[in-house]
Amino acid sequence: MSGIEIFQMWLVAFLTLALFSFLYKDNPIYKLAEHIFAGLTTGYQVGLIWDTVVLQKLWDPMIYDDKWWLLIPGLLGILMFSRFTSRYSWLSRIPLAFVMGTTGGVFLTTQLHGLVLPAMKSTMIPLGGGGGFAEAILAVIVVVGVISTLIYFYFSKEHSGALGVTAKVGIWFIMVSFGAHFGYTVMGRVSLLIGRVQFLIEDWIGSFL
Amino acid sequence: MKTTAPVTIAFVAGVIMVISFFFNEETTFVGGLSQELLNWLIIIGGFTLLLGVVSITRVNWTAVTQKKEGWIYKVFTLLSILVMSLPSVLPSSWSPLLGREAGSIYDWLFTYMQAPMMATMFATLAFYIASAAYRAFRARSAEATLLLITAILVMLWRVPMGEAFLNLFPGDIPNLLNTYIMNGANLAVQRGIIIGAALGAASMSLRIILGIERTYMGKG
Amino acid sequence: MTIWEKLEQLDRRWIYLAVAIAVIIPFLVPAKFPISVSPEAQSFYDNVEALPDSSVVMLVFDYYPSTMAETEPMAIAGARHFFSKDCRIITLSNIPLGGPSMAEEVTRRIAAEYGKEYGIDYVNLGYKYGYVSVLKGMGLSIESIFPTDNSGTPLSELPMMDSVTNYEDVKFIFEVADNATADYWISIVNAGYGVPMGVGMTAVMAPKFYSFFGSNQIVGLLGGMKGAAEYEILINHEGSATRGMGAQSLVHLLIIALVLLGNIGFFASGKHRRRIGK
Repeated sequence: MSGIEIFQMWLVAFLTLALFSFLYKDNPIYKLAEHIFAGLTTGYQVGLIWDTVVLQKLWDPMIYDDKWWLLIPGLLGILMFSRFTSRYSWLSRIPLAFVMGTTGGVFLTTQLHGLVLPAMKSTMIPLGGGGGFAEAILAVIVVVGVISTLIYFYFSKEHSGALGVTAKVGIWFIMVSFGAHFGYTVMGRVSLLIGRVQFLIEDWIGSFL
Repeated sequence: MKTTAPVTIAFVAGVIMVISFFFNEETTFVGGLSQELLNWLIIIGGFTLLLGVVSITRVNWTAVTQKKEGWIYKVFTLLSILVMSLPSVLPSSWSPLLGREAGSIYDWLFTYMQAPMMATMFATLAFYIASAAYRAFRARSAEATLLLITAILVMLWRVPMGEAFLNLFPGDIPNLLNTYIMNGANLAVQRGIIIGAALGAASMSLRIILGIERTYMGKG
Repeated sequence: MTIWEKLEQLDRRWIYLAVAIAVIIPFLVPAKFPISVSPEAQSFYDNVEALPDSSVVMLVFDYYPSTMAETEPMAIAGARHFFSKDCRIITLSNIPLGGPSMAEEVTRRIAAEYGKEYGIDYVNLGYKYGYVSVLKGMGLSIESIFPTDNSGTPLSELPMMDSVTNYEDVKFIFEVADNATADYWISIVNAGYGVPMGVGMTAVMAPKFYSFFGSNQIVGLLGGMKGAAEYEILINHEGSATRGMGAQSLVHLLIIALVLLGNIGFFASGKHRRRIGK
């Protein structure tokens, strides 16, 4: 292992342990690492956006491909910075409205076409589809679960009578799903810790054993 | 002007995008126009990210110049922003240390500082979730008990040791869990939430396009 | 003060210490348990296996460095699987923090293992802001969204991209994600252009995607580190996810024990009656 590789390894180990030290108690080393982390994270965006957006999508096409009309989004982008002034901050609404309108236009169709319709279509399954008794049971679970969940989240009418009973069924389904979600969340968080411990034991300690 | 112009722009841009969904992107005028607008969206969006960077820098700069509590740490934040960003915006043709490619300062800082620190920050959540599970995860009601039992079963099922334990019992519990919990009750609830959330997103989009929803403009 | 009350007021740092010990022990004393493969992971593998050799595929790095432990093993296993079938890989990212750098690092490393060449066998498009624009725009032309690759080389100078215009030329998309961008890949790209898609998700996101698997909007699902380990087993190349399963098991058992202990104390101390009484 070269000198620079050893330095890199120790640097990562130091930063990892510095951040873990917060678990015992807040301390200056943790605070220092935390603030450096915030700075690096902010700085990362600058290089990325400058290169991939400002140069590649705006400057180069305008200069080399004569796409002069890109001045419009360029100016709209610059208008975003009017937020730093109190007098002209309203100008930032214009690019913001463009972003909201365009994104809304895409969402209006894709959310319905790409999410709602396929979800509904795959819920409406024939019970006698040839899959046997177990599949029919599963199909019933899915239909009852989807409908009762939707009704549980329907707040425009008081949950009483038939609506109340269905909402009650809904909450039982939701509890099962959230339980599964909790189990998976524990798994995810533990995995992230394993990743750091793998580095500390296999890579860092392993390098000088 | 302060309200009409943004609402009109949102309406026109939104309607173009909705109409273009029904037309060929390659051969129709509206399809081509929608592609151009999407391109504009990337450019404007890039500036909004830079706006965030400027904002964070300003906040930290003010704290340092006014010597607010903990200002010394914020000096390191500002230095880190500078060290990460400045070499990355200079052309790599000047030096291999500049730009964003492998071997640059930017790439080195990301690989050996930023990425491991971000991974560690999130790794600490494992400790907090263990502590929270011990202190707050109680079978207070029938519903909470159901949630707790499902969580324990799923936690067992998703790890080899736990699965080996479940297999000690008859009836292929892991398979039943996958079929009736994950692909049954869980799938149904998630699908219900997806349908509800997507309908909500679509109706919110419609409200924005029609100018009914204007909260994104802020006050004034 | 009863033992249960004392236990309830236990300094949380003892719990942290127990977690730390449980996660370290399996690395010092490895114990192997068989790793079963779920039908969702098996379906993922089978669909990639069924791709014609040399197909163009997309490997999408939509995860932040924070979740690398879960997601990166999936991306690595995916790159290995694709290269072993001589597939040509396009990588890209919708994440403004780290995505392009991680794509660069992973693909270059795995490509070297398989003797693959940049520009011919794989291309890293990098990042562009705004997933809606990026995902929809590539439906017409990938080059219109990504005029250059991550290093600034024009796509026209990369031989692999000669035969790739838009999604019509892409046979499979492997979305590795830790956030909602995966939803948009499904609702915009799969629904709009019909490209088969498999997803590798963090465990936190995985339960939601069972719904998409059930509706055949995705053909495979890898959930969390266990999902990554399943994929590593399927491609017969053990990696960090498989090695992490011992620690994962022990910490799960510890947390289950903590939950049970907490509840025993809750009932033994009679607190459940007081709370219900209120």
